[in-house]
Amino acid sequence: MQLDLHHVEELLNFWGWPQSGTWELTLGGTQLLFNPKTLIMTWIVMGLVILFGLAATRSMDMRKPKGAQNILEMLWEFIGGLVRDNMDPKKGAALLSIVVTYFIFILFSNLIGLVPTLGSPTADYNTNLGLALCTFFLIYIFGIRYKGLGYFKHYVKPFALFLPINIIEDLAKPITLTFRLYGNIYAGEVLIAVLLGLLGGWIHVFGGFLASVVWLAFSIFVGCIQAFIFTMLSIVYVAQAVGGEH
Amino acid sequence: MLEFNATILAQIVDFVILLIFLRLVVYKPLCRLLANRSDHIANSIAAAEQERQEAEQLKAGYEAEMRRAREQAQEIVQKATRAGEDQALQIVSNAKNEAEKLKENAHAEIEREKQRAIAELRDQVATLSVLVAGKIIHKTISKDIQRSMIDDFIKEAGELQ
Repeated sequence: MQLDLHHVEELLNFWGWPQSGTWELTLGGTQLLFNPKTLIMTWIVMGLVILFGLAATRSMDMRKPKGAQNILEMLWEFIGGLVRDNMDPKKGAALLSIVVTYFIFILFSNLIGLVPTLGSPTADYNTNLGLALCTFFLIYIFGIRYKGLGYFKHYVKPFALFLPINIIEDLAKPITLTFRLYGNIYAGEVLIAVLLGLLGGWIHVFGGFLASVVWLAFSIFVGCIQAFIFTMLSIVYVAQAVGGEH
Repeated sequence: MLEFNATILAQIVDFVILLIFLRLVVYKPLCRLLANRSDHIANSIAAAEQERQEAEQLKAGYEAEMRRAREQAQEIVQKATRAGEDQALQIVSNAKNEAEKLKENAHAEIEREKQRAIAELRDQVATLSVLVAGKIIHKTISKDIQRSMIDDFIKEAGELQ
């Protein structure tokens, strides 16, 4: 039985979301196109994150943290430590909640794609570019807030000849953020679908089930790592903008 | 090949909504909790520090008191020992004196008794001799003569001694 990726994806579309095509919305004469599956999965992820947040804060105990509260505290302390290591804690306080949200949202997004029939919002480069643009804006917001217009002087450092290089460097930041995350997660999802497709006829030959389990385990690892990398790089970029010369 | 579309905007909006929600509902209580906890820990540490200091002070006080008590006890024991030794010496010397006195008294008594016995013996011997002599010479002698004879005899006897 010959299965191609699209066919497997169709077969896995248990919930019947719109696989391809777009939702259209016309606002003031501008036609806006949306990827429906990405949006639906994003909303599901948002729901899960909110549920997690509520579970973590529902019955908080100062003396004996347990369950979700523990996880949230650990995350907060861990990422807070990263922020404090990279920049002045006073300036970093405003950034902390944003990057923690990055981490939780991206982690949940990555992991939800591992459930067959569901998909990662982060397997769509639109999501990733959206998040990366948030970081891009954050770099400027923080840079201007703490250095004023003098922030733009870093484009001509060490001297004016570096202007194009610095501009390219700045533009490369959101693009690399986007496609690093997209490549990892999309590849993981494709391979999950492919391995599930192999289950059909080739399981005895390739051990499709075993391979699938191994790949799922590895994807959990990759999902965590990518969420961490995105968060970490965002912190570092903002810290560069806020901190001293670079 | 890459088709970017308005999903980007939707995702930015989604993210901002999520961020605002989490900031209001999750992070605020979490930060408050963490601040409370660090306050609590700081307070506990400060309290522990203070208690430790107090305990140390108490301990130092008790130790000083104990040292003083021990010194006093030692002093008392020393005093008592000295007093005891003095008393013992005194008792011994008293006893020695007493014994000496007793011995002297006894000696004196013995001497006295001896003298008395000797005197009595002399008297007796003299009287007896006179009686015997009287018997022998069948002659009554006047008291005066008798007396003088006795005295002579005694004298002689005394010289004999």
